[in-house]
Amino acid sequence: MMTYLNVLEIESALENLAAAYPESAESIACPNVTHEGRQTHVLRVGARRAAVYGVLILGGVHAREWAPPDALVSLAADLLEAHELGAGLVYGGKRFSANEVRQIVDSSNLFIYPCVNPDGRHYSQTNDALWRKNRRPHPGNKNCVGVDINRNFDFLWDHLKKFAPDSGVSASEDPCDRQVYRGPSPTSEPEAKNVVWLLDTYPQIRWHVDVHSAVPVILHSWGSDQNQMTESTQTFLNSAFDSVRGRSNDAAYGEYITQIDRNIVETLSYRMSEAVKAVRGDGYGIEQAYGLYPTSGASDDYAFSRHFIDPSKTKVYGFTIECGHSFQPAWTEAEEVIREVSAGLIAFCLEASAIVARSTSSSVRQ
Amino acid sequence: MNDESIIHIQIEALTLEDLRAFTDEIGPADLGCRAIPRQTEGRFVIDGYLPETQLQAARGSRAASRVSLIVIENASELGRERQREVGEGNRFASRGEIPRGLGRKE
Repeated sequence: MMTYLNVLEIESALENLAAAYPESAESIACPNVTHEGRQTHVLRVGARRAAVYGVLILGGVHAREWAPPDALVSLAADLLEAHELGAGLVYGGKRFSANEVRQIVDSSNLFIYPCVNPDGRHYSQTNDALWRKNRRPHPGNKNCVGVDINRNFDFLWDHLKKFAPDSGVSASEDPCDRQVYRGPSPTSEPEAKNVVWLLDTYPQIRWHVDVHSAVPVILHSWGSDQNQMTESTQTFLNSAFDSVRGRSNDAAYGEYITQIDRNIVETLSYRMSEAVKAVRGDGYGIEQAYGLYPTSGASDDYAFSRHFIDPSKTKVYGFTIECGHSFQPAWTEAEEVIREVSAGLIAFCLEASAIVARSTSSSVRQ
Repeated sequence: MNDESIIHIQIEALTLEDLRAFTDEIGPADLGCRAIPRQTEGRFVIDGYLPETQLQAARGSRAASRVSLIVIENASELGRERQREVGEGNRFASRGEIPRGLGRKE
């Protein structure tokens, strides 16, 4: 029987893929080691080192969600092998042609980062299965261990200051909070620093997909408040709205998104959902990342926010997939989830490629 | 590690307001990564992961009448079972062991 990958296997799998496919893959060492001393790697899949666009795909941010890292290793292996064979890829009822595989590997860079939080995954797989955070003890209280990496990014990080007190924002300043402790400062954690480093170092990255589990659902921007497209002053940058941000169904504030950006994120989400459904009929709904409550410090919002803070930075569209129906499905079910995630991400990359092609031909015409 | 079992439940309500009233009252609660409800057959459903004592208290809350609580499984027990489905050693220790994905190549 196949089993879930442990953290050592994930790292070795990436090394072996880079060694087996040197023309189309490269192992990239992330500079920040974890509290327990682990160095993580990203596999760049793509025949051209500086392709016109890049997609950053994260897994394993939350330790207890076991299927996403395995799915990303499987996806990388599939793309590299199929590309070398000149073959297409089939996941259940979803088929991608050899040309489509070639289009992705030859024209883009996929930065596949299967296990962002290996300390947490190791602890979850060997001790407390429902552990979510990393394993760094709080500097002031060694009994409180771990930070939620997906509340640690520098996007409205200070939730007490940046959201309405009654918004119910999903984050905590309590270092002993078992689930959503935000950390002592924005991007304090090595795991979050590595993601920021990738976005800083590879400006060709235009898309960011953080693979989590489980609902299932596909999420797009924003997670801070309900979207609106008319009031351009209502943005996360405007502190005048700090006292009202995050409440549901109110007129005081909504997070501004342009019609063009909304169309792009919805189209990409739809393509993923469509491909996932074709695998075995399971429906991954499409939702804005604002659910019952707003979220601060999440990777998808951080990635999208960077360009609005500093227009010299690439605009990166951020997404989250919450795959499958359980944090730790039986392995046989995990295999089905892996097929769904793989199909969804390949469809995503093809649509991203089409968007880039359309924008390039339109700027050539101008 | 807390010894109390964590129970995976589904919370169902006819409206988002009913769902939010309940989760507001029992909070803070573990509602997964982002507290995203899904719509199923005209109802709003969200997963929760509550220690047994919090689940008991939740059943007695004022807003409990506005939702249905369905116990899915003992997530702590299931997690311990799943830990037996994790690889031991390193299947890729040899450089020649190339991982293969689950997609069919054709």
